[in-house]
Amino acid sequence: MKAQQRIQRLLSPLLQPFIAIFIGLLTGAIAISIVGAPILETYKELWMGAFGNFYFMTSTFARATPILIIGLGVSLAFRAGVFNLGAEGQMVLGAVSAALAALYVPGPGIVKILSALIAGITVAGLWSLLAGWMETKFKVQLLISTLLLNYVAVLFASFLVSEPFQDRSGSAALAQTPMLEQAAWLPKLFAGMSLHWGFIIGVILAIVMYFIFKLTSVGYEVKMLGLNPYFASYGGVNKTKVLLASMFISGGLAGLAGTVEVLGTQYRFVDGALTGPGFAWTGMMATLLANSHPLGTAVTAIFLAALETGAMGLERNTDVPLEIASVIKSVLILLISAKISFNWWKRMKKGRDKNGMV
Amino acid sequence: MSIRLEMRKMTKQYGDFLANEDISFTLNAGEVHAIVGENGAGKTTLMRMLYGMEPPTSGQIYLDGEPVSFDGPNDAISHGIGMVHQHFMLFSDFTAAENVVIGHEPKKAGFFRRKDAIDTVNKLAGQYQIQVRPNVKVADASVGEQQRIEILKVLYQGANIIILDEPTAVLTPIEVKGLLKNIKNLAEQGKSVILITHKLREVMEVADRVTVLRNGKVTGSVNKEETTADELAKLMVGRELQTISDRIQLNGNSLLEVNELTIKEKQEKPLLDRISLSVRRGEIVGIAGVSGNGQSELLQAISGLRKVNGGKVLIDGKDVTNQSVADIRLAGLSHIPEDRYLWGAAKQATVEETGLMGYQNKPDYNNKSILLKKQFRSLLSSWIKKFEIKTTSINEQAGNLSGGNLQKLIVSRELGQETPLLLAAEPTRGVDIGAMEYIHEALLQKRNNGDGILLISSELTEILTLSDRILVIYEGKIVGELTREEATEEKISILMAGGSKQ
Amino acid sequence: MEWFDAALLSSTIRMVAPILLAALGGAICARVGIFNVGLEGLILIGAFSAIVGNYFTGSVFLAVCFAAGVSMIFSLLFGYLSIHLQANAIVVGLGINFLALGLTTFGLRAIFDVKGAFYDKDMTGLPKIDIPLVKDIPFLGEVLSGHSALVYLSFILAILLFFFLYRTVMGFRVLAVGMNKVAANSIGLKTNSLQYLAVLMCGILCGMAGAQLSLGQVTMFTEGMTAGRGFIALVATMLGQSHPIGIIGSSFLFGLMDALSVRLQGFSMPTQFTAMLPYVITIIAMFFLKDRGAASQMSEQQSSR
Repeated sequence: MKAQQRIQRLLSPLLQPFIAIFIGLLTGAIAISIVGAPILETYKELWMGAFGNFYFMTSTFARATPILIIGLGVSLAFRAGVFNLGAEGQMVLGAVSAALAALYVPGPGIVKILSALIAGITVAGLWSLLAGWMETKFKVQLLISTLLLNYVAVLFASFLVSEPFQDRSGSAALAQTPMLEQAAWLPKLFAGMSLHWGFIIGVILAIVMYFIFKLTSVGYEVKMLGLNPYFASYGGVNKTKVLLASMFISGGLAGLAGTVEVLGTQYRFVDGALTGPGFAWTGMMATLLANSHPLGTAVTAIFLAALETGAMGLERNTDVPLEIASVIKSVLILLISAKISFNWWKRMKKGRDKNGMV
Repeated sequence: MSIRLEMRKMTKQYGDFLANEDISFTLNAGEVHAIVGENGAGKTTLMRMLYGMEPPTSGQIYLDGEPVSFDGPNDAISHGIGMVHQHFMLFSDFTAAENVVIGHEPKKAGFFRRKDAIDTVNKLAGQYQIQVRPNVKVADASVGEQQRIEILKVLYQGANIIILDEPTAVLTPIEVKGLLKNIKNLAEQGKSVILITHKLREVMEVADRVTVLRNGKVTGSVNKEETTADELAKLMVGRELQTISDRIQLNGNSLLEVNELTIKEKQEKPLLDRISLSVRRGEIVGIAGVSGNGQSELLQAISGLRKVNGGKVLIDGKDVTNQSVADIRLAGLSHIPEDRYLWGAAKQATVEETGLMGYQNKPDYNNKSILLKKQFRSLLSSWIKKFEIKTTSINEQAGNLSGGNLQKLIVSRELGQETPLLLAAEPTRGVDIGAMEYIHEALLQKRNNGDGILLISSELTEILTLSDRILVIYEGKIVGELTREEATEEKISILMAGGSKQ
Repeated sequence: MEWFDAALLSSTIRMVAPILLAALGGAICARVGIFNVGLEGLILIGAFSAIVGNYFTGSVFLAVCFAAGVSMIFSLLFGYLSIHLQANAIVVGLGINFLALGLTTFGLRAIFDVKGAFYDKDMTGLPKIDIPLVKDIPFLGEVLSGHSALVYLSFILAILLFFFLYRTVMGFRVLAVGMNKVAANSIGLKTNSLQYLAVLMCGILCGMAGAQLSLGQVTMFTEGMTAGRGFIALVATMLGQSHPIGIIGSSFLFGLMDALSVRLQGFSMPTQFTAMLPYVITIIAMFFLKDRGAASQMSEQQSSR
C-alpha cells in the first residue's frame, strides 16, 4: 500500500502530460487516416521534418524562439493571476516599433539594434499596461480587453506600413516597411541556418525567470497574488503595482518576441507575417501546456514548434495538410486543462465501487 | 409518546480518526431534543449521517420502527427529515416564496405558478405562526427572517423531523427569543426538532431532552427537568478547563488610537459611523457584536485593506490612515484575519509559502530580493514545534491542513511578527478545543508581555474570557463600553441587539 | 449624415443576429454560473459546419441544423471538461477556440482542398424573407423586411428565452443553479444536468450564429471569420446583464458598429480605422459594465470555496 502510494506520487505529475500527448497523437492519427495517409509513415515524416537533420532542427529552434519568449510573457501574467490574451497585438506593435526604430534611428548597427529592442519592448509593454490599467482602475475585464485590443493593434500596425511608412521601392506595393540595413540584423548562430541570437535570449530569459520564481521575494509575491489576491494584499503585497508591473513585462516580452523576429528573421515588418503563423497563440499554448512553468514553457515551445515545422515537412513530402498540427495542438490544450490525474482515476474507480456496493 | 426516530450505535471513521463512536439517539414525536457539545465533538458528523450526506461506517437508523438508509439529502427529505443549515441555503435574488417552494414548485404545463407559491407560503406561515413576507427578496430580509424562510422551506417539503444546526449563532438576542418560540410552536403541533448547539442557556429554555457529545461519544442523555446547565457543561467539557494564565495588571500607554473612523458607500448609510476606540499596551480590547455590523470593515480599515472616508488611525502615535498594508504592518501591526481561507492563506500555496507571507521583505529573510529560505525554514519549524501544527511536510498544500492546524499556522505567523499591536479576528472560529486553548493562551501571553490586542469575535464567551475592556458594535457604531468587571453576557446581549446600556 | 440611411439600419439588423444569438448562449451559461469564453470557437465551428452541410446536402435548412448539431457536440465537450472534470472553464473555453480554429482550417484542406477560404457559386445562402405588409411601409419596410429566417429567429429566441427563464419551472431552476450551486444541490436539484442543458442550448445558439455568418450574407467560409465576434458577444452578454431583453439592446449597439464599420469604408478614411470601430466601441462599452461578477482573475475562480 505504502509503496504503491509512493509510486503514485512520483508518477502523478507525469500522468497527465502523458495521457494528453497520447490522446493528442491519437486524434492526429484519426485526422491522418481521414485524409487517407498511413499513420506511422506520417508521424515519421513529421519527426523528420522537425529534427531530421541539422538544418531542420535549427529551423525548429528558430520557430520556437518567438513562441518561447511570448510564452514566458504570458506565463508571467498567468502567474500573477490574469489572463493576458493580448500577446498578438503586443507582439505586432513591438515588432513594428522595433522595425521603425531600426530604420530611422541614426547610428551604427549596435545602436540601431539596441534602440529597436528598447522601442519594441517599451511600446508593447505600454500597450499591455493599458489593459492592466483599465483592469485595476476601472475593473475592465482584462481577459476580454486584451483580446479586443489585439485587433486594434494589428489593424493599426497594418495602417502604419500601408500608408506612412510603406516600402515604396519595389514595384509591387506590399504592406511592409523598407528592408533594414544589414548592420542592424541580429547575427545568426550558424552560417546558412535560420537560427539567430534571439533563441539564446529566449533560453536565458526562461532560466532567469525560473530562478526569479524559485528564489526571490518578487517572484513569491507575484505567485501569491495569482493564487489568492486577498491573501497577497492582506500580507502587504501591493496588488496594483505587482499586477501592472507583471502586465508591462508580459507585454514587453511579447514585444521582444516581435522584435527578434524582425531583427533576426524578416529584417523588416511585413503586415501579417507575424500573425499568420500564429506565434502569439502558440506561445500561449506552450504556457498552458507547461502550467506556466518557465523551463517547462521552453520545452513545450520547442515541442509545439517541432509540430509545426514537422507538419511543413509533411506537407512538402506527403499529401497530409500541415493544418494537422493545429488539430493536435488544440486537443493537447483541452486535455491538459482537465484535471486528469490520479484523482480523476480514483473518482472513476469510486464510481464503479459505489455502483457495486448498492 | 411514540418514538419517531432512532439511531442505534452509529459509528463514523475517517482514516484512523473516530468522529462518532457507538452513538445511540432517540427522538419522539412532538419533542425538542438538543444535541450539545464543543466544536469537534461530533455533532455535525452525526447529523450528516442522519441527513444522508455521509454513509455511516456502522450503525442503523430507524424511522417509525423501520430500518432505513439514506442515499443523499434528497432521500432524507423524502422520508420527512429536513435540515436548516448553519449557513443558509438560500437564493439571494429570489423572493421568500420562491425560496420556499423551489424543488417542488407549483406548476401548470411547465410554467411556474408564482401566485400559488405565495398562497401556500402564507398558509404555511399562518399554520405554524412563522412570520415571513412572501414577496421579500432574500437579500433584503434580515438574518432572522432568512432563517424563518429556511424553516418554512423544510416544512413545505413535508418534514416531520427538523434539524436546526447552530440556529442562534447568527441571531440577535431578540431574534433568538422569536426562534425559540417558533421551535416550541412546532413541537406543539407534533413536529420533532433536533437542536444542535453549544449554547446551554437556550437548551435549558426550549429542549425536552438533551444528549451531550464529547470526542465523538455520548457522555450523557438526560431529561431537561433532571439536569442543570452546570451539569451539562461538565458533561460537555469532561475535564477542568485549563486555567489560563493570570492577568498581570499593566497600565501601558496608548498604542492604537482610532478617531471618528467612517466608511461610506454610495447613498447608503455608513458601514462605519464615526468609530473611536483605543488599545493600550498590555490590554486586550474585545469588540462584541452580531457579525455583519461593521466588524469586517473596521478590521480592513485599520489594517489598510480598505480606504476610509473620514477619521484617523494612529499606531504608536504614527498616523497610518489610508496607508498601504505594508506600511501599516511596518508601523507595528500584525493581523489574524477573520476568514483564514479568504485572507489568511492560499489553498494551493505550500505551508512554507503560507507562513512566509509578511516576512518576504524582512531583512532577516531577504537579502537584496533573494529569499533566505534556510533562515526562514528554521523559524517555520520552530512554529510547527511550538504550536504542534500537524503537517506532513512544509511542502504540503495549505488547503490540505485541517482548519485548526491552518489557524495555528496563521496565528503563529502573526505572533511571530512580534509587533506591539495585534488584530485578532475570530481567532478560534471552527477549531477544536485543543487548538482554541492554545490560541487563547498565546494571546494572553502576548498581552502579559505588554503588547496590545484588538479582539473581534462573535463568540461572547471568547470575548468575556480574554478581554480587559469590551466594546459593543451595532450597525457600524460603538454602542457601549464595559469593563471586564462589569461585563456580563446579559448586558452585552442587549447592547448587541441595539438596546441601551441600562 | 449621409452615411445614415435605411440600408445601414437594415445591415445593422443583419449584423445583430449572430452577436445576439451567441450572446444569448453566453447568457444561459452565465446564468448557470459558467463563464463561457468558448463562444468564439463555437460560432466558428457553426459557420464552417453550415457551409459543409450546405455543400453536401444542398439544403440551407439541413445546413443550419447541421451547424447547430456540430456546435452542440463541441459545447458538450466544453461541458464535460468544465462541469464533469472540473477544469478551469476559461482555459477550456480558450482550448475550444484553438480547437475550432485548428479543425476548421484542417477541414478546409481535408474536405474542400483549399486554403484560407472556401466559396462555391453553386451554393445558395439563407433565403431572404419578406414580411407581408411591413415590407410595403416606406423606410421601415426596407429596414425590417427582407432578412434571413435566422435574423427573425434570433429576436424570437431572445423573447422565448426570457419566458423560459422567468416563467417556467425549468428556467427558475436554471437561475437557481447559477445563483447558488451549493444551495441548489442541497434541495436536490440536478445541478449538473441543468448546467449541461445550458451549455447545450448555448451550443445550438452559437451554431445558428455561425450559420448566419457564413450563409447569411455572402455564402462563404474564411479562416477565423468570426474575428472576435464571440468575445464581442460575451461583452454584449455582460452589458445586457445576462437578461435576454437587455442583450437585445447591447447586441444592437455592437451590430450597429459592425454595420457602420462596413459602411464607412466608402468614405475617405483608412480601412484599418473603420475596421477598428467595433472593437474600440466594445472596449469603451466595458467601462460601463455593471455586472462585473465574472471573475477575470483566475484565482477568484480557484478560491471559490
